Amino acid sequence: MTTTTARGRESAPAPTRPRAARRAARFKESLVGWGFTAPNLVLMTMFLFVPMVWALVLSFQDTQGFGDPEWVGAANYATLVSDPVFWRSLFNTLVFTAATVPIELAGGLGLAVLLNSVLPARGVFRTIIVLPMVISGVASGMIAVILFYESNGLINKVLVATGLDPVAWQSQGGPAMVSVVIAAIWLRIGFNMIIYLAGLQNISPEMYEAARIDGASRWQQFRSVTVPLVGPSTFFLLIMNVIASFQVFDLIFVMTGGGPGNATSVLGTYAYRNGFQIREQGYGAAIGIVILIITLIFTYIQWKTSRTRDLAE
Amino acid sequence: MANTTAMLEIAEAEILGDRKAASLRRRRRRRRSADRKGVVLRTIVAIVVAAIVVFPLYWMVVVAFSPRGEVFEPGLRLWPSTLTMENFEKVFDRVPVVAWFGNSVVIGLFVTALTVIVNLLAGYAFARLRFRGRNAVFLLVLSTMMIPVQAIMVAQFKLVTGLGVYGTYWGVILPASAAAFGIFLARQFFIGIPDEIVEAARIDGAGHLRIFLQVVLPLCKPLIAVLTLLTLMGSWNDFAWPLIALNDNELFTLPIGLLYLQNQTAPDYNAIMALALISVLPMVLLFLFFQRYFVQGFARSGIK
Amino acid sequence: MKLIKRTLGIVGVVTAGTLVLSGCAGFGGGGSEGDEQSLTFTTWGSEAEEVSFQELIDQFEAENEGAEIKLNVVPYDQMFSNIDAQLSSGNAPDLFRADYGNLGVYSSQGQLLDLSDAFSDDEASEFTPAMWEAVSYDGVPYGVPHQTDVSALLVNIPMLTEAGIDVASLPTSQDDAWTWEEFASVAGQLRAALPADEYPFVYNWQLNGAPRWLSWLFQADGTFLDGDTATIDSAEGARALDFTKSFFEKNWVPPTSSTKGTVYADALFTEGTAAMAFIGSFLVPDIDQLAGFEWTAIPMPKDERGATDLGGNALVATKDTKNPELAAEFLKFMVSADAMALFCGNTNELPTRIDLEGDAVEFKVRPDVMPVFVDQAATIEAEDVKQLTSPAMAAVNTALQDQLEAAFIGGQSTAETLENLSAAIEEAAN
Repeated sequence: MTTTTARGRESAPAPTRPRAARRAARFKESLVGWGFTAPNLVLMTMFLFVPMVWALVLSFQDTQGFGDPEWVGAANYATLVSDPVFWRSLFNTLVFTAATVPIELAGGLGLAVLLNSVLPARGVFRTIIVLPMVISGVASGMIAVILFYESNGLINKVLVATGLDPVAWQSQGGPAMVSVVIAAIWLRIGFNMIIYLAGLQNISPEMYEAARIDGASRWQQFRSVTVPLVGPSTFFLLIMNVIASFQVFDLIFVMTGGGPGNATSVLGTYAYRNGFQIREQGYGAAIGIVILIITLIFTYIQWKTSRTRDLAE
Repeated sequence: MANTTAMLEIAEAEILGDRKAASLRRRRRRRRSADRKGVVLRTIVAIVVAAIVVFPLYWMVVVAFSPRGEVFEPGLRLWPSTLTMENFEKVFDRVPVVAWFGNSVVIGLFVTALTVIVNLLAGYAFARLRFRGRNAVFLLVLSTMMIPVQAIMVAQFKLVTGLGVYGTYWGVILPASAAAFGIFLARQFFIGIPDEIVEAARIDGAGHLRIFLQVVLPLCKPLIAVLTLLTLMGSWNDFAWPLIALNDNELFTLPIGLLYLQNQTAPDYNAIMALALISVLPMVLLFLFFQRYFVQGFARSGIK
Repeated sequence: MKLIKRTLGIVGVVTAGTLVLSGCAGFGGGGSEGDEQSLTFTTWGSEAEEVSFQELIDQFEAENEGAEIKLNVVPYDQMFSNIDAQLSSGNAPDLFRADYGNLGVYSSQGQLLDLSDAFSDDEASEFTPAMWEAVSYDGVPYGVPHQTDVSALLVNIPMLTEAGIDVASLPTSQDDAWTWEEFASVAGQLRAALPADEYPFVYNWQLNGAPRWLSWLFQADGTFLDGDTATIDSAEGARALDFTKSFFEKNWVPPTSSTKGTVYADALFTEGTAAMAFIGSFLVPDIDQLAGFEWTAIPMPKDERGATDLGGNALVATKDTKNPELAAEFLKFMVSADAMALFCGNTNELPTRIDLEGDAVEFKVRPDVMPVFVDQAATIEAEDVKQLTSPAMAAVNTALQDQLEAAFIGGQSTAETLENLSAAIEEAAN
C-alpha cells in the first residue's frame, strides 16, 4: 500500500518540517485512512445502503415475490397506518424493550458487583452466568418451548406440584409476553454482567476506601461510587440492549410465532411474515422503512440528549 | 492494599483525633464479622442465580438423553428414567448433521475472517489516522448499528438474489460481514494504545501499514480474541438471514437444521434437543477456552 | 499464545477438510447447471414421505438410464418463500411439491410447465375429476395430483370409556356419523367428566391448517367464494363460526389450540391432553408410534352434509426447467398406479387415481382405521375443490388465520369476523 523510505533520525518532528512536506504527509495519511476504511465502506454500501434505498423503492410497489411488481404509490403506507396488527407489533416491541432492558442492566450490574466481591469459586459462577450468551436464539427458543409448554411443560408441572395454578403461557397474551421476556433476559444478562465486570475492574479500590472513611454505608458506596463510575458501561449496554430488543426475531419466531392472537407479534416477526410468509413483499418493505424511520428518530434523540458524541470524539 | 489501609488509619487518627479513630476501628471490626456473614449470604445468592441460569441448559441435556416423549408425560420428573442415545442416533440417521455442522464451520470462519480484518483496518483508521471526513464517516458507520435487520431484509434478499449468490455460502457470508459493532470496539481499543509507541515507529520511518501490522496488532491480542469470538458466535447462531438466504438442504447451517426438525409432523423434541446440544457444544467449549480474554478485551477497550 | 496457534492449526485443518468434503458447492460452484439429465426436486415432508420419495426416485433412475433426480427436503416454513425467490431469480428447482392452494398461485402467474401434452384425455380421466380439476387452471393441467389427505376424528378409547361413553356405539361410516348436536353432547359429556387440564377434543386448524375451518362451513352447506365474489358472510357462515367459537367458550378445546397456536393437535392428542382430535390421515404413523393408549378413527360430524378438508399435495414442474420432457416423465411416473400405491401405502395418505379407490392401497400402519378416511374423502364435492384450489387460496389462508384467531380468543364478534373475512377474500380474488 504505502512504500516508505527509511528516514534517519535527523528528520525532525513535524512542526519544523517545511509546509509542502507536511502537506504531502497529511495527504498520504488521508489516502491511507481512506484505504483502510474502503473495504468496510464497500461492504456497507453494498449490503446496507443500497438495500435501504431499494427498500424505499419496494415500499411503493405491490410485489408478490415473483412476477412483475406493480407501482402503487403510497398505498402500502396508507394500509399500514390503518393496520391494527402493525400498531400492535410496534407496541409489543416497545413493551418488550421496556421490560427487558432495565432488568438486563440492573441484573447485570448486580451480578457483576456480586461476582466481583470476595466469594468462593467466583470464576465458576461467572462462567455459568455468562454461558447462555453463547447459546443461539433458536436453541434457546426451543428449550423455552419445552419449559413453557402449557399442557405438560416443566414449569407448569412445578407450579402445580407446589400447589399453585398452572400459567397459560401459550394461550394468553400476557403470560406469553412474559415468557419471551424471561427467555431474552436469560440469554443476555451474562453479556451485561461481563461488560460491567470489565467496568468494575477499572475502578480503583481507593475510591471505596475514601467513601468508607466518610462513613458511607455499603448501599451509599454503591450509589455514589459504583453507579457513576460504570456510567460508560451503562451507556454502551443501554445502546446494545435496545438494539437487540428492538430487533428481536428468532426467540419469538420459535417460541410463539407472534401469538396467541398478535400478543407477541413484534416488528421483526411482522416484517418477516409479510416479506417472506404471505407474499406481501412491498408491504413488508414499507414496514421496514417505518422501522428505519423510528430507529433514526430514536438515534437522533439519543444523540441530542446524551453522550453519543463522546463515542465519536 | 494492606499498606495503604494502615497508612490511612494513621492518617485518620491524626486528622480525626483518637476518639473518632477508635470508633472507626470498632466499626471495622464489626464489619469484619459482618463480612463473614456477607460472604455466606452472597454465596447463597450466587448459587441460586447460577442454578436458575444453568437449569435450562441442564434441561436440554436431560431431554436429549431421555426416551422419546417422556418429558411430556404427566408427572414431575427432573431426570431421565433411562439414559438413551436413541435421539442422537435418530438425528444422525435422519438428517445430514455432519454436513450442517461443516456448513456452520465454513460460513462461520469466512464471516469471521472477513469481518475481523475489515473491522481492524477501519477501526484503526478511525482511531489513529487523520483524514478529512473521518468523524462524519465514523458516525455514519456507527449509525448502521442501529439499522434493524428486518428493516431491509426484503431488499437485501432481492440484492443477494440479483447478485446471483442466493442459496450459496456467499449469500450468507457477505451481508453478515457488513457489521459495525466490531469497528466500534476496535476503535475504542486502538485509542487506548499509547501514542509514544506509534510515534517511535514513525520516527524509525515505518509506514502506516507496517506500524499497524507489526507494532499495533501484536499489542491487540485481547481485542482480536474478543472480536473473533463475538463474530464467530454471531455467525454460528445466526438464524433469520440463513433462513432467508439458503435453500439447499445440504447447505443448511445448524440453526436451520433445528427449524427443519421442528417443522416435521409431530416434531420430536428429544431429537431437537439432541441436535441443539450438538450445535451449542462447540461454542460453549470455545468460550470456556477463551473466556479470560473476554473481560480483558472489554476492560481495555475503553468500554468501562 | 501457543494455545491460539494450535487452535488456528486445528481450525485450518477442519476448514480444509470441510471444503474438500463439500466440494466447494456452497460457494456457488459445482451446481447441476448444464446437465440435461439431472433435475432438482424440492419438497418438504415427513420422515415416511422423505423415505418414500427417495425410494421412488431410485426406481425412476433405474428405469431411465442416465436420469438423475436430486431430492432437496427443506423446512416447511421456508418452502414457498424459497420457491418464490428462486422463480424470481430464474434458478428455480425443476420440480417441486405444492399444496393445491399454492399451486393456484403459481399456475395463475404462468410459472409452471403446461402438462397438456404429457397426458392424453384417457390418462387424465384416470384421476378423480375433482383432483384433476385441482391441478388445472383455465382447463390446462399444471401439475399432477400426487396424493390427497383428509381429516377424520381420532378418539382416545380409555378416556372416552372413563367418561362413560360407550365406544361400541361410536359411528363407523358416513351414514351414522354424528350430527353437530350429537357431537356437541358428547363433548359436553366429556367436559363434565374430565379434569380441568384435559379437554374433550382438539381441532387441527393451527398455523397452516386454518383452511380446515372451512370443513365446518361446508358441513353447514355454506361457501366462501363464487367466481370472484366472497360468499362467506351468510347465515351458513355465521352458523359455522358460532359453533366453532363455542368450542373455546365452552372449554371443549385446549386454549392453546387456536389457529395461531404453536402446539399441534396431534401432540395434544398423543400426550393425553385431548380425548379426541381431528387429524389428517398422514399423521397416523406418527400417532401410532407416540400414543401409548388404544385409539381409533371415526367420521367427522355432519350438519346439512358431510365434509372434510382437502389436504394433500400436487407435484409440479417449473416452466423454465432445463429438461421439460424428463420432468414430465418423472411427474407421470410419480402418479402411476404402482408408485402412488407405494407412496400412499407408506405414508397413510390417500390416492387420487380412480383405480386405487376403495381398498386398493395397502396401508402399512393401522390399516384398520384407514377405511374411515377413505370413506370420509368421498364427502369432498367438486364445488369445494373449486374454491379450495383458487389462486386466491393462499391469501384466504392468511385471512382465516388472523380472523379466526381474533374470533376464537380475541373476542371478536361473529358479524365482524365474517365481514373482515369477506373483505379479505374479495380482495384476494380480484
